[in-house]
Amino acid sequence: MNEDDFLSRCLQCGQCAQVCIFDCIEMQTGFNPFLAGTPQINPKVAACHLCMRCSAICPSDALHDIPIEDVRMGFAELDRKKCYQWSGFLLCRSCYERCPIKWTAMVLEKGEYPVITKACAGCGLCEHVCPADAIKITPTRFVNGTPDGGLQS
Amino acid sequence: MRKPSIKTYRRLCQLFIIILFIAVPILNKERYSLLYGNLLAFHFWVIPFADPLAVLQLTLKNLHITFENFIGAFLPLLLAFFVGTVFCSWLCPFGFFSEMALHLRRKLLPRSTQIKAQGSDGVVTKIIIFTVGIAFFLFFSTTPVLNQMSLPAWYTRFFQYLFGQGYVSLSIFALLAVLIVEFKADKRIWCRYICPQSVLIIFAKRLNRKRLMVHFEPKKCICKNGIREHCTSACTLSLHPKTVGRVKELECTNCGDCIMACQKMGCALQFSSQRSVTTINKQDKK
Repeated sequence: MNEDDFLSRCLQCGQCAQVCIFDCIEMQTGFNPFLAGTPQINPKVAACHLCMRCSAICPSDALHDIPIEDVRMGFAELDRKKCYQWSGFLLCRSCYERCPIKWTAMVLEKGEYPVITKACAGCGLCEHVCPADAIKITPTRFVNGTPDGGLQS
Repeated sequence: MRKPSIKTYRRLCQLFIIILFIAVPILNKERYSLLYGNLLAFHFWVIPFADPLAVLQLTLKNLHITFENFIGAFLPLLLAFFVGTVFCSWLCPFGFFSEMALHLRRKLLPRSTQIKAQGSDGVVTKIIIFTVGIAFFLFFSTTPVLNQMSLPAWYTRFFQYLFGQGYVSLSIFALLAVLIVEFKADKRIWCRYICPQSVLIIFAKRLNRKRLMVHFEPKKCICKNGIREHCTSACTLSLHPKTVGRVKELECTNCGDCIMACQKMGCALQFSSQRSVTTINKQDKK
């Protein structure tokens, strides 16, 4: 589902933000009448744990229940220069340890270096835990040509 | 002990909703999970409720309606079908504040010499705004823009922002601005002329000819010509309560203020169904 479809289905009721037990979903603020009240995720503050409570509660099917492997909220990009592991600065696997779909979305090259694959759901947990700020999530709506996902930030 | 009046019950209902939607975000933050949402859509336990207009917009845009949204929109319409637009007068938080603004004005400033009852032109403006809003959403916008015109939703959303994410929304100033305009204008402009959310429930109540409404018994009326009519001055929407059921019933919200006023003056006004009113119409024709 793309961003426009999502926005045209969102009732702006904020139930997803209230049900989220990790407080990662926020309602967009401000007076922009096209966006105010719709949900977004800011992974720096709190990342999505793919618990899927929000899609279960959404009354209008704007967020719908899909297997977490199919979630495409965004895509994580790893800056190898900043990454402690890649730059050889420290032994760090924070992102790999935290990834909810590791082995698929995040693999270790040569058993040591984290690499993000196309299966990334964009949940933002890696961005949230990365001590070097090397990982950045690009929400799907800003990426052209990516496969449609069920959950949108 | 004196029996509590209609107005006491009504104020309790309004205050309950006002406090409930302050409490909901706080309780959700503490992980109480019986009630979620705001006045655009919320659900209590497994029962969904939704603003019929919001659901209508989504349905027209996507040509698809979910079961939850259908039930959610159906329940308020069902309420309106049987007892009229009681949401406006008994539940809507903005309606409460709007009434308070009007009462404050009538306390502070001298009452305008003559209260004229307008026709149902308010409904016409509402329907225009309603249609334009839906058309705008269907052809130019990706979000249901009429949702942003729902002042009760903004009221509840303010507390969602405040307690959910610690953000003081400026929407409270928008609410205050409308209230100040209503205070200046001495009539409830937003409720009568603008609020597009009330259009669908007005349609729903029109479908039922036997719904609950204000019923006038001419024999009991002791207000002769020339005396200021208590029922008319009690009506915050400046309608003529005696004619409700014939012409202006579209705007009447069954608040019961005229009935309260009439209780001291012979009890000529009562809540009743339309059937008795039509018999009166027949008597008038004779």
